Amino acid sequence: MSDLLIQRTSPFQQLHELESKLPKKEEGSDSPNFKDMLTEAIQDVDEAHKVSDQQIQKVISGEVQDVHTAMIAMEKADLSFQMMMQVRNKLIDAYHEVMRMGV
Amino acid sequence: MSGLFSAMDVSASALTAQRRRLELLVTNLANAQTTKTPEGGPYRRKDVVFESQSVEPFWKVLSEAEQEPLEGVHIKEVVTDKRPPVLVYQPNHPDADPQGYVAFPNVNPMEEMANVMAARRSYEANVRAFEAIRELVRRSLEIAR
Repeated sequence: MSDLLIQRTSPFQQLHELESKLPKKEEGSDSPNFKDMLTEAIQDVDEAHKVSDQQIQKVISGEVQDVHTAMIAMEKADLSFQMMMQVRNKLIDAYHEVMRMGV
Repeated sequence: MSGLFSAMDVSASALTAQRRRLELLVTNLANAQTTKTPEGGPYRRKDVVFESQSVEPFWKVLSEAEQEPLEGVHIKEVVTDKRPPVLVYQPNHPDADPQGYVAFPNVNPMEEMANVMAARRSYEANVRAFEAIRELVRRSLEIAR
């Protein structure tokens, strides 16, 4: 009965127990953690925006004649930004969900 | 992230190729009556030869060898039409030969217009295909919403 009570009231404790069972992440191991992945994804989005900026500049200055190249770069930047926003929304949702959790 | 957009790169390569083709076709039309060129003689009709080209970077082709690489298109070369110039009898023309014949370009405006329409439709088709890919990505992002 007390086991059940603990299970119901303290999900964090369970999480900690689970975490302690997981293999410890070694310093310098090549498996990327979630934070690194997220940072990389954001850098990708930033890169897409920079490329789109460059392309638009090139079209306006007349260096490149293809308008569609700039448009496609813009679309790519837009789509990757939206993807980032969706991931961010999900993360914030999860955070709020955890914050609302009764202890 | 780039894997998401490789299909878009295929469409983009087709757009670039068709645009270049359209440029050449317009050049042909504009020079349909040109009798003088820097190389001498009348203008000669230009056309393009398309060739497929992988849009993925080289390292990706190597690492994903089991997957069929996506092939875009690019213009391999611009060729000059071998058809002979059209001889028209115009003795008072400055470029007339001793017999009074003037060599006009081997450009048939009707044929060029048909090609212009084909290039235009092809461009439009590729824009539509691009829109379809974009819509696909957008829809998949809506799953998380």
